[in-house]
Amino acid sequence: MLDWGTILHYFPFLLKGAVLTLEISVISLAVGLVFGLIAALGKLARNPLFRWPAAFYVWIVRSTPLLVQLFIIYFGLPQLGIRLSPFASGVLGLALNTGAYNAETIRGGIEAVSRGQIEAARSLGMSGALTMRRIILPQAMRLIIPPLGNNFIILIKDTSLVSTITLVELTLTAQRLIGSTYKPFEMYLMAAVLYAILTTASSVCLSLFERKALKGYGI
Amino acid sequence: MIRISDLHKNFGSLEVLRGIDLEVSRREVMAIIGPSGSGKSTLLRCINYLEIPTSGEIVVDGVRVNREDLSRKAFQKHLNEVRTRLGMVFQQFNLFPHKTALENVTEGPVQVLKLDKKDAEARGREILERVGLADKADTYPAHLSGGQQQRVAIARALAMEPAAILFDEATSALDPELVGEVLKVMEDLARGGMTMLVVTHEMGFAERVADQVVFMSEGRIVESAPPAELFSNPREERTRQFLADVLDRR
Repeated sequence: MLDWGTILHYFPFLLKGAVLTLEISVISLAVGLVFGLIAALGKLARNPLFRWPAAFYVWIVRSTPLLVQLFIIYFGLPQLGIRLSPFASGVLGLALNTGAYNAETIRGGIEAVSRGQIEAARSLGMSGALTMRRIILPQAMRLIIPPLGNNFIILIKDTSLVSTITLVELTLTAQRLIGSTYKPFEMYLMAAVLYAILTTASSVCLSLFERKALKGYGI
Repeated sequence: MIRISDLHKNFGSLEVLRGIDLEVSRREVMAIIGPSGSGKSTLLRCINYLEIPTSGEIVVDGVRVNREDLSRKAFQKHLNEVRTRLGMVFQQFNLFPHKTALENVTEGPVQVLKLDKKDAEARGREILERVGLADKADTYPAHLSGGQQQRVAIARALAMEPAAILFDEATSALDPELVGEVLKVMEDLARGGMTMLVVTHEMGFAERVADQVVFMSEGRIVESAPPAELFSNPREERTRQFLADVLDRR
């Protein structure tokens, strides 16, 4: 049923697409984490000058589809004179998108650290920033990492959407190969396997990291 | 060492503290007793500004704590400095769960007082030994009993070399058989000349260790006297009633 000859022959091409998918994922993930942390701290800030923009960002991203966001960045912004490469557009769109979800995840983790921890730190004379860095964030990590891993996996899968803005990543590579081979089942199946490998590998990495963050909790 | 004048604290329309005047001298141990809801803990938490008083004056070690004249940023800095001079021990211990006992003790000295890490660790170990936990330095709080956790918390406060330590019902969350070990550490501190302000339900401790016992009710100080006097011969009916209630229960 499966044409193994085609699979073997075209696998290297798909692998190349997967490499671009991985690059996009890793960069978006890193930028999305920074966006998420900034927006989370913004939403937790007392000053409305920080709180409102952060809340607006999270709201607008979560209430619109990623595909439309990508189209606005890639097809819409040039009308305003802002012209970004497909790669930059894709990474920006994905990072903004995952960043908004990360923000809610991180905020939830920070808020879950008990009030007593903050009081204990502040009673030692620690400043708010030092308390956040030394006491709250390390404890929030434990709560943040599992849902953050979820966001990462969603991000990797969402990179397939940047195929619509001409980035020849894994999905678009498969589509193009189908155009010349007429073997959609084999091509999409290979793409699916490669996506599964990428997401599984990132889950494994994360669970190793999680074990480190759980230090001291008797687990 | 600690002087409080006409301190008021409202939570919305609820008046929790209704004009508190109090003075703790250097090397003095003051116990604050009273029914729950009388404002004892709020009073203690106002001293290091974990609660913001509505009005009144607080002076610690010659420094006025509430400074309306400072900008918000300058006040925060001022407050951090005051807090390094005031230890605080909580009912729920509030140890940092991601740090070992020793790391809990050295966190303040290293991060806030900018002590050298090696020196802070050496001193931290000495202090842990003082509270009887030399062998638990590298243990995480999750693996310590409540009594051991509270002793680490006391060590954490001591490591800052504070001018005074505030104890907020330090033994109330402990299993009865673990109360003694914590009270013993507190008693040793008192004998060593530490200035202490202790909110407590342990009448035995107040009677044995305190120089001065303050009885609070409904946001006011009802009476204040040396323990021998307050426990055997209270002046106020309200105090008598409270003592009868708690001593009966035991």
